Amino acid sequence: MIKVPPYLRKGSTIGLTCPAGYMELDKVQNCIHALQNWGYEVMVGKTIGSKSKTYFSGTDAERRDEFQAMLDDKNIHAILCARGGYGVSRFIDQIDFSAFKKHPKWIVGFSDITVFLAHLQTQLNTASIHSPMANAFNDGGEKSKYVQSLQKALKGAKTNYKEAFHPLNKLGKASGELVGGNLALLAHLCGTKSAYKTTNKILFIEDIGEYIYNIDRMFLQLKRAGHLKNLAGLIVGKFTDIKDNARPFGQTIQELILHHVAEYNYPVCFEFPVSHEQENLALKVGIEYQLSVTKKTVQLKES
Amino acid sequence: MGMLPLGLLAAKDNNSNRNRIKIPTYLQKGDTIGICCPSGYSTMADIQQSIIQIESWGYQIKLGQTIGKRDFTFGGTDAERAADFQQMMDDDSVKAIMCATGGYGAVRIIDQLDFSRFKKNPKWIIGFSDITVLHSHLHQVVHTASLHSKMCGSFPKDWTTADEVQINTILSVKKALEGELIYYPIVPNINNRTGSAEGVLIGGNLKILENMSGSVSSINTEGKILFLEDVSEPLYNIDRMFCNLLRAGKLAKLKGLIIGGFTSIKPDTPDSPFGRDIITIVKEKVDHFNYPVCFDFPVGHQKNNYALKCGIEHRLAITADNVSLQEIN
Repeated sequence: MIKVPPYLRKGSTIGLTCPAGYMELDKVQNCIHALQNWGYEVMVGKTIGSKSKTYFSGTDAERRDEFQAMLDDKNIHAILCARGGYGVSRFIDQIDFSAFKKHPKWIVGFSDITVFLAHLQTQLNTASIHSPMANAFNDGGEKSKYVQSLQKALKGAKTNYKEAFHPLNKLGKASGELVGGNLALLAHLCGTKSAYKTTNKILFIEDIGEYIYNIDRMFLQLKRAGHLKNLAGLIVGKFTDIKDNARPFGQTIQELILHHVAEYNYPVCFEFPVSHEQENLALKVGIEYQLSVTKKTVQLKES
Repeated sequence: MGMLPLGLLAAKDNNSNRNRIKIPTYLQKGDTIGICCPSGYSTMADIQQSIIQIESWGYQIKLGQTIGKRDFTFGGTDAERAADFQQMMDDDSVKAIMCATGGYGAVRIIDQLDFSRFKKNPKWIIGFSDITVLHSHLHQVVHTASLHSKMCGSFPKDWTTADEVQINTILSVKKALEGELIYYPIVPNINNRTGSAEGVLIGGNLKILENMSGSVSSINTEGKILFLEDVSEPLYNIDRMFCNLLRAGKLAKLKGLIIGGFTSIKPDTPDSPFGRDIITIVKEKVDHFNYPVCFDFPVGHQKNNYALKCGIEHRLAITADNVSLQEIN
């Protein structure tokens, strides 16, 4: 059985850190206030609004050491990554998870944070949360059902989402551990020890700003690395800001995915609200879910 | 046999491993070179100059069905491209296959190709960029050498006005196919890590090698000399791809590393520079290892792109004053 970190209680402490790209402190304020309103203490890491002048929120050592300190600090009950970007792969192999193994806590985030979520499932057999990060709390986002879904997930409410039907869905029911995240990162993890175990799992994917041909190539990488054939189900989130070449690719995201999974029998649903846009429901990675794709709706429910 | 000391047995094993790679027969005047499109599309006009040139070298050309075919970005549907490539491989009168162009698409057909006849009668497969899918698969699964080089679309439009580098790089394809031993002296880069290495040469496009990770086509790089190039990627993504190779264990046991052109790099967002150039990105990844590393090798999406024989033993020698890559006879 997968290890499920203790859910949060009033007064629990959430550590905020930037393990990848840079983020200004101003842009994290709404998130900090909301977490406090939810009844939590917030510990803000130095990587947030740091003096870094580069793409990263700090040097590899600074980002690594802060993440390590938050992992090891028994007074921190969850780590919310403020932002993704790129950078976790540069130091994940230097993280020591021995204290975390004894006292697991929720690691929360998406996009580049997919590297942590996958590593936790496959190497540490520990659940985590794929969800909105700090920027989602801005511009009134705090009140959205997506940020609210994170609030509910952190305190241990069972997630249960009913979503709209999509005409290209492949109908069926599935149950299994939920795994997934950003497609570019899932492809990037192939061949490494952090790649998800996907047999009998329900996989979700999303991405942003990619060329269609590259989405095809990354999806094929998952297939050729054996990550698609033994799935229980496939949840395709939103692929936003998609680019195409002057020579068009000629297939939509939905069409190319259906083409590559045509030989498999599991249910597939499209346009699920997991994405780089506001529509990004909290999903518990490593936890058992039931997926039901019918002619009318899609339901993803924690078992 | 039972009396052989263990050391000798090991050496023998090592040798047979080395020799496991089959080297296709080199070409002779009058041989036929097939041209087809396993990836992107190519028109007759796109390949006209390559046909004229190759025929002038004394070879015959056989055009595949996919030349002039187009399915959006592809040179025909997956089925058409796979069938054409298959036919070229199985046609005994075709002694080498030059891919018309790269682009994207080889990975969509690679698992549908049947190499059983090709294995008995291997031939040179020629190209780069997306064709790295084929080089990688040919090395790891089919155990056959192949030629990483310019392809039809890279021939100069007008041979008479082409510059020296264009002519020499195209002629390097001809020389390699005719069995001339590779010997490239290279201008040293101050960032090179000196040393010398002997090993089987492998490599190609970084993006494609990352894309192969986790699949059957992903090369076991241990004891080999790896060359890498890429085009039009942002620095952060180049770094991420290098992290994949590192984390997938592809860099730890190399004999040597050759960094070619990383051209048309996509600019960073002005207010958040990546802060590392290619040289720093590479140096960070290989800091823990001791093998020689050279930069600015003439391979890539650039004029200066010489033919390299994948799967063949080479010697890489790097001193402060001289760099060379030499095929071991």
